[in-house]
Amino acid sequence: MSTLETIAAKVAAGERLSFDDGVLLFRHPDWIAVGALAHAERTKRHQDRAFFNRNMRIEVTNVCVASCLFCSFAKLKEGDPGARTMKVEEAWRELETRMDDPPSEIHIVNGLHPHLPFSYYEELLRGFKRIKPDVVLKCFTAVEIHFFAELYKKTYHEVLTELRAAGLDSLPGGGAEIFHPDVRTRIAHDKATAEQYLEVHDVAHRLGMKTNTTMLYGHIETFEHRVDHMLRVREQQDKSGGFQAFIPLAFHPEGNGMQNLPGPTGVDDLRTIAVSRLMLDNVDHIKAYWVSSTPKVAQIALCFGADDVDGTIVHETIYHAAGSKSPQGLTKDGLVRLIREAGFCPVERDTYYGVVEELPRAALPEGAVKVKERKAGKHLEVLS
Amino acid sequence: MKGRSLHRAAASRSDKIVLAGVSYLNSRPILDPLEEPPFRDRFSVVRVVPAEVARMVSEDEAHLGLMPVGAAATYGDIRFVRGVGIGARGKVRSVLVVSKRPLDEVDAVELDLSSRTSVVLARLLLAKRTKTNVRFLGRAAGMPLGPERDDRVASLVIGDPALTLEGIYPHVLDLGEGWLDWTGLPMVFAAWGARAVRGASPEVRQALREAVAVGLDNRAAIAEQYGAEGRVDRVTALAYLTGAIRYGFGEEERRGLARFFDEGERAGLLPRAEVRFADDPEPKARVGVDALIGRAAGGERLSCDDAARLADEATLFDLGVAADTVRRRKHPLGVVTYIVDRNVNYTNVCTTSCRFCAFYRPVGHPEGYVLSREELGKKLQEVVDAGGVQILLQGGLNPDLPLAWYEDLFRWMKAEYKLGLHALSPEEIWHISRLENLPIDVVLARLHAAGLDSVPGGGAEILVDRVRKRIAKAKCTSEMWLEVMRAAHHMGLRSSATMMYGTTDTVQDRILHLAKLRDLQDETRGFTAFFCWDFQHEQGTRIQAGETGTNLYLRTQALARLMLDNFDHVGASWVTQGPDIGEIALRFGADDFGSVMFEENVVSSAGTTYCIDASAIESRIRAAGFRSVRRNVRYDWLTEPT
Repeated sequence: MSTLETIAAKVAAGERLSFDDGVLLFRHPDWIAVGALAHAERTKRHQDRAFFNRNMRIEVTNVCVASCLFCSFAKLKEGDPGARTMKVEEAWRELETRMDDPPSEIHIVNGLHPHLPFSYYEELLRGFKRIKPDVVLKCFTAVEIHFFAELYKKTYHEVLTELRAAGLDSLPGGGAEIFHPDVRTRIAHDKATAEQYLEVHDVAHRLGMKTNTTMLYGHIETFEHRVDHMLRVREQQDKSGGFQAFIPLAFHPEGNGMQNLPGPTGVDDLRTIAVSRLMLDNVDHIKAYWVSSTPKVAQIALCFGADDVDGTIVHETIYHAAGSKSPQGLTKDGLVRLIREAGFCPVERDTYYGVVEELPRAALPEGAVKVKERKAGKHLEVLS
Repeated sequence: MKGRSLHRAAASRSDKIVLAGVSYLNSRPILDPLEEPPFRDRFSVVRVVPAEVARMVSEDEAHLGLMPVGAAATYGDIRFVRGVGIGARGKVRSVLVVSKRPLDEVDAVELDLSSRTSVVLARLLLAKRTKTNVRFLGRAAGMPLGPERDDRVASLVIGDPALTLEGIYPHVLDLGEGWLDWTGLPMVFAAWGARAVRGASPEVRQALREAVAVGLDNRAAIAEQYGAEGRVDRVTALAYLTGAIRYGFGEEERRGLARFFDEGERAGLLPRAEVRFADDPEPKARVGVDALIGRAAGGERLSCDDAARLADEATLFDLGVAADTVRRRKHPLGVVTYIVDRNVNYTNVCTTSCRFCAFYRPVGHPEGYVLSREELGKKLQEVVDAGGVQILLQGGLNPDLPLAWYEDLFRWMKAEYKLGLHALSPEEIWHISRLENLPIDVVLARLHAAGLDSVPGGGAEILVDRVRKRIAKAKCTSEMWLEVMRAAHHMGLRSSATMMYGTTDTVQDRILHLAKLRDLQDETRGFTAFFCWDFQHEQGTRIQAGETGTNLYLRTQALARLMLDNFDHVGASWVTQGPDIGEIALRFGADDFGSVMFEENVVSSAGTTYCIDASAIESRIRAAGFRSVRRNVRYDWLTEPT
């Protein structure tokens, strides 16, 4: 029978947590203690560093044949009100207009468009690389890759190899939702299954790609479903090892098929981050995606197990369609401030968690400067 | 950035050491010589009321202060100058509790709140002599002494008035004598103190000792002069200066004062404090932060210095868990309260031009408004219809609205709608008092008679004047803000207290703010709850954000819960932080979720907009692991926990 104490002992000994442990962590009334445990684990791995990157998000089409209950973004077909598909030139222009301060990564997630040719995607990728050869293209969720395989009659391996030849570097983690069939069949019945999602990542990892993975929580799923989801990620990671980050995504209820649900709130956000950190012993990074959780909650999530807040984003539309109150983008300075205010050392990373720039924790909040000097007995002199 | 500003201002006038003192007779042998050659070339003496002495020292406006020892304990990092103090061994004659009946028969003791030290000493000594359920009251200025109104009331009298009471009351407790009888030790009431980080050089300390030697030789002349000023007759003054007051401060006095601090702490009246001389060697090991956090969680009173160390060194989790422990002890039923009320801003016309505010419009501005009765009535009816229990009515400092306007408005509201009236922050009350040229307590009494139920704690910002001057130049001083609250509490009105940080304030400023609230709460017990939030930096505000962020918000709220040991409630400010952080903050010391929002204009002018209803509040309270209860302004429960 697990208790918080036995779990803490396991974590200290580097032992793996069980399904029951995970459920207990979700249900334990002392969520602060769960957070403290996750924070210790996070600190062991990343000390006081918190990662961010300079990325931009583009959604080239919102036309989607799938009808996921949680989605406020997709339009069923071209011509529906609000349906929009960019020409590749329009997508490229998003990068061109930012070349004075270019992102290091482009993150593309789309609807499952039934009529675009495969060459559209290849050309899209090639164009970005022509504009900025070293930009990292983290594009298309496993659900899209699966859809491409079906639509264009290719294997996952063929889809990925061909897109890689056109410039694809990495896959984002979207589309995981909740793996358990009891939930998945109800909220996302007509797209890749859990097994298919994981197989796409498996193939990608074996091709040497690094990818991320996610979990959409706070709708109809139970804590058991969440833990089950994490265990499937952990199992896949044991096999293929290519997941860099796990990203819990909070369900936002505006304008979709589950708008009667309240959506998760702050404590659940923190707890989910914390349990993820504790369960996923073989995934290096836990990301508090500030667009989904709001920047304020992301700040505290860094103390509850997260070590990454994602990036500058620039112009996000999927969460904003679902009523997110977060800003659509943050500047690099904004992210640095967000991390510093939370008490961490900001580290700009590339897609693969290589360090681009390790910023000092200095530009310290004023109080900290003062404290330093106060201890040196120079209180009044330095205050200005 | 601001710590030195006033000090530099003072220093730029001269390079003298600034000394803060009072004008009481017993301090004259210490202070008078310092204004004469040869000392005056070196020192500049500022004479203020006792509470100001400690404030000036703690805010670096004075290098040293002849400081009441109770205030020194509160600020915590004070070092005394060995050799000079104002004390007594036995009868002191100027600190008395007088009554017409024996002390064990009185129902209430009226306290002169201008001296915290005397109040603490009185409560310690009276605990053994009075009924267990005796009430303590504050004495309003200008009122006749309590026993003159009611022979079941005793009165604490201090200073010159006490010297002339001899023989008038049948029952007199001299607190110096009472202390000696109890402890066998002398009492020290005030002494030269400096902040530990500022220190005082050996030369300065020596000069202060030399000055008092001169003053002691001059006592006859001082008494003569004092008598000539007509305050106390010459003979009484001289007898007092030579026979009652002792000016030494050595090891025996240190033991007496240490005992006073210990007893004060044990009774929950003072933070834990040590008596430290400037020339004491630094103790080898300071208390570890873990021990400090344990003491805080255990409910021990923190000094400002303790709180500063926690703010610097404790982790977010340490602070949160300790604050949660305190919250749990104060509210063991696992309940979080909230209120259904509505914030109505009756006017946006304001004369203060605060740099952090995006809501106000200057007089004559085309966007200025005053709500009409029709507009107000519609809003109030909506509150009644929604099951609301009160109106929070606040506005700008509008020079066109006289006191009678408020009285009419309140009477009309009370007659038409059954809603509590939580109205007019201290700033607005002060504004009306200036506008009408009436004392604060008269304004409050008239508003109270017209229907005012309680006073919101807005406008406190940071109760440290050097910060206030930077961000809200035209606003009342921190002393005035506290004075309005003091007057309201003495009238039986309750109020909340707030703090807006994150402009030019430092952690020391925030702690000082909390200490000032705690001191007033000791006097009046009139504050219901404390709320804090950070400056909402957005369009229309004209000041840079200083220290902000969610981490700091949770740390600050937790620290406030630890520091404000005499406050029943701490509320989470979801309006500024967002409901998610509000929910999280419930485990960082808060036991109240504030209010359902119909509208709020001031914070939302600066860009922050969140709107949630009662059921959303209840589900957030549950998400944090608590049951919810609706309350009124006095925090009485209006529903069963759900």
